[in-house]
Amino acid sequence: MKTLERPRTPAAGRSGGGEAGRPATRRPLWTARRRDQLAGYLFIAPQLIGSVLFVLIPLGLVVWYSFHEWNVLAGTFHSVGGDNYQKLLDDPKLPGVLKSTAYFSVGLVVLNLSLALALAVLLNQKLRGSVVFRTLFFSPVVVSLVAWTIVWGFLLQKNGGINAGLDLFGIEGPNWLRSEGTSMAAVIVVQVFKNVGLNMVLFLAALQGVPRELYEAATMDGAGRWLQFWKITMPMISPTVLLTSIITVVGSLQVFAQIAVLTQGGPNSSTTVLVYYLYQQAFKFHHFGYGATLSVLLFVIVLVLTVIQWQMRKKWVFHES
Amino acid sequence: MSRKLSPRAKLVLYGVMLVLCVPFVFPTWWMASSSLKPVSEVFAFPPSLLPANPTASAYEKVFELQPFGQQYFNSMYIAVVVTLGTLVVSSMAGYAFARIRFRGQNVLFLVVLTGLLIPSEVTIVPLFQMFNDWGMIDTHWPLILVPVLGAPSVLATFIMRQFFIALPGELEEAARMDGLGRFAIYWRIALPLARPALAAVAIFTFLHSWNLFLEPIVYLTTPDMFTLPQALTQYVDAYGGPMWNVQLAAASLTAFPVLAVFVFAQRQFVEGLAHTGLK
Amino acid sequence: MRKQTRIRLTALAAGSVLALTACGGGSGTASDGPVHLRMTVWSGSPEHLKLLNGIADEYRKAHPDVKSVKFDVLPLENYTTTLTTQIAGGKSPDLAWIFENSAADFVSSGALAEAKVKNAEDVLPSAKKLWEQDGKLYAYPFSTSPFGVFVNTDMLKEAGQPTPAELIEQGKWTWDEVSKLGAAVHDKSGRTGMVIRDFDYKAWDNLATYWSAWGAEAWSEDGKTCGFDKPEMVEAMTSLHKAVFEDESMLAPGTTADFFAGESAMTVTQMSRASLLEDKFKWDFVPLPSGPKGEYDVIGQAGIARLAKSAHPEEADGFLEFLTNPENSAKLGAYFPQARTSQLDPATLAKSNPKLSEQQLADVVVDGIKKGKVKPVHIGQAEINEAVRGALDPLWKKDADVEKVLRGVCTAIKPLLEQ
Repeated sequence: MKTLERPRTPAAGRSGGGEAGRPATRRPLWTARRRDQLAGYLFIAPQLIGSVLFVLIPLGLVVWYSFHEWNVLAGTFHSVGGDNYQKLLDDPKLPGVLKSTAYFSVGLVVLNLSLALALAVLLNQKLRGSVVFRTLFFSPVVVSLVAWTIVWGFLLQKNGGINAGLDLFGIEGPNWLRSEGTSMAAVIVVQVFKNVGLNMVLFLAALQGVPRELYEAATMDGAGRWLQFWKITMPMISPTVLLTSIITVVGSLQVFAQIAVLTQGGPNSSTTVLVYYLYQQAFKFHHFGYGATLSVLLFVIVLVLTVIQWQMRKKWVFHES
Repeated sequence: MSRKLSPRAKLVLYGVMLVLCVPFVFPTWWMASSSLKPVSEVFAFPPSLLPANPTASAYEKVFELQPFGQQYFNSMYIAVVVTLGTLVVSSMAGYAFARIRFRGQNVLFLVVLTGLLIPSEVTIVPLFQMFNDWGMIDTHWPLILVPVLGAPSVLATFIMRQFFIALPGELEEAARMDGLGRFAIYWRIALPLARPALAAVAIFTFLHSWNLFLEPIVYLTTPDMFTLPQALTQYVDAYGGPMWNVQLAAASLTAFPVLAVFVFAQRQFVEGLAHTGLK
Repeated sequence: MRKQTRIRLTALAAGSVLALTACGGGSGTASDGPVHLRMTVWSGSPEHLKLLNGIADEYRKAHPDVKSVKFDVLPLENYTTTLTTQIAGGKSPDLAWIFENSAADFVSSGALAEAKVKNAEDVLPSAKKLWEQDGKLYAYPFSTSPFGVFVNTDMLKEAGQPTPAELIEQGKWTWDEVSKLGAAVHDKSGRTGMVIRDFDYKAWDNLATYWSAWGAEAWSEDGKTCGFDKPEMVEAMTSLHKAVFEDESMLAPGTTADFFAGESAMTVTQMSRASLLEDKFKWDFVPLPSGPKGEYDVIGQAGIARLAKSAHPEEADGFLEFLTNPENSAKLGAYFPQARTSQLDPATLAKSNPKLSEQQLADVVVDGIKKGKVKPVHIGQAEINEAVRGALDPLWKKDADVEKVLRGVCTAIKPLLEQ
């Protein structure tokens, strides 16, 4: 969909992703244009000032800390040059942590998005009572994290509810939270059930926004349900897919409370993801400078991922092309 | 999808949804039922679905031990202020980034986007130092200012921008012809159209503020100032052990009203969003 | 607000300098503005806060310059993190409760000021040890709680087993016997025999209540040498492994059983948990079982300290001294066992522990506090804890090679111990 700009200059194709900042072509309206520019700055001013104050300056300070050794308890703070970054390269635990982080994020995003979409499609079948189900699927979003993890801690025990269920089918369930092979999967599932409701609601809204005529036309052409889903539904809801995937990817790299409660990063560090690790280093082990260095690393990773997703949107997001 | 489903297909779908409900509902159910149990029963294994001897004493304790009403009010008003503030800030910024062309727009958008990428654990110490310098420790300012202006509102701005980009421009064009200024176009044309996106932002923002944990425990020190997630941790017996039934009662009181609002508002919310789609 | 504080601080500093020069270092009360003291605690219990506020009110009566003493409750789970953030952010509390497991870090880093305690000689040396450095005391151990074993005697009888009291009489209260009792309970009812509470195969320092019976220790007294690969530790852990995986007398990894809900026959924990007991079953509280090394005791601790960065050091010191004087320490004793010779008699303790009999208190508590060792502590505790936990994980499998795993623990923590 094209956005319409004020006086349409050839250069003003699209805003945002386009080529802003190019000197304006001289036009008789140039004062109006200036006024508009000013309006633009004023509109973003609160957000911009906030970003500088509460994001950039603190972030700058974190980068500054990363070149220092800061023992909070002793109150000592001295420059160590690039030592923390050298430590980062030499840290024997880091490769494992990064692997766990990738496992967690990929698993979480894939599972969360596909389950959210599946639930949304189910709920979109206009069954009687689907409002009730919608509420039930959404309910964990508002339940306290502590209660949530306690219950799942129960369910995932060796002799817990999940394994009792598997036992009905003659399967001997694993010791979910205690074995390295399953602990991460368990943590991911717990996290997905907690928050999938938000994405589900967004998907549901997107699904209901797809014009019915499109399906009707496709049915006339003899396209089956599956084909319709891939050829009509997916392209139409692709902007929502982009939005939810960015939110979920970014969120997945920042979640650690569940890990802290369920496995505390174990067994054998198999669930120690990057945020958890940096939290440990900074606040538990009192290596504040190194914690800051890990923060910088985390920031760079999220930045790269987001840029990639943002670039990819042009390829597959329907409305942006 | 518009076609009618056969009764058998319906039955299968109901079956699937019922089974899927279990992992979503069971923990909530357990929370509510355990809040009615005596503390020694809470951790009984396997967890019981209904309390053997239901008692509401935990609910009395919730209010007896903490200024829970005040704390409820704190959480509520902070969440409302944060939500309203975020709606204003993010819709303006999102609108400008999407519809107005100005010098340095892309760079500035990137600057703002950085906020999306930073976990709060990373910046909590420098932020604490700042608010301490400003004398704002043990006030609600950090819990309002940071979400409205800082990192959490960036997601909102992002959602708003995505929405406004997809908005057809003809209306704006017409308004401009009628001599409306930027602000009037934003306020009278764009914003009313953006109701669905605003609804999405509102629900995200409200829940984020409502569930905030790390910030309140770092910034707030007086029980009368506490927010709910923080208050939950305060129910401890004389020997330092958590009073689980009381904590779960308080957690239930925290969760159910929000859920009720969702039940009430979901139709508007979902259908409102669907109306234009989040694009 | 902030400016005022700064001005006040400057005034205070100037005042102290004057006082110093005038009286040659005497303790002048130099502040001229109102002083507000702040102390962080981790208990929001109304009983605790009432007690503390009561003591603070009395202190303020005698010291009108101290306008208020505020007790900030930080959540238990995030206590040290929050405290550290506040110190890092430049808003250190004046006084704070300190956990046993961060004691070494706080004491050694210089974050704490020397604790001014009246009648410090009344406090047992074993209780002070954790909080001392170079002969100076840096925190008052305000809560010293011994570990013991709670027993569900109904459950043991049901399984046709003798009670620990009987075994103690026969001199047979050992970990070997515990494992037999536990296995019998497990065979009979499928329930759990023994639970080392809060261990959960993560908080391994709770195992000190077990391996001390073999005379094993996590590391040497000076903290330099790893103790995990020593023969006595290997023997202790082999025995534990057998109890868990062969006898099945102990709680298995990845499962829970709550003693107080009637799900296990015995549990090792601190006496303060007696408050969780309801009259659902007959119970007893007995000392820890003995082992090859004989009898032993383990205690858990917490300290109160004045922080070095306190804005009102003199007043804060004064309050700490007041809070821990014999009279107030007796009041604290209502909830927090005091490791003071003068208070260590069963009758005094019985007042604050109505669920326990004087006999039980005498056996476990008095002896425990007198002779008890604290759980393993070390500078950089959190990091060592994490390393040990990870290295011990392979042990909690049926076919584990105990000796090899324990050698691995030493490899993992050696660099940390040497720091």
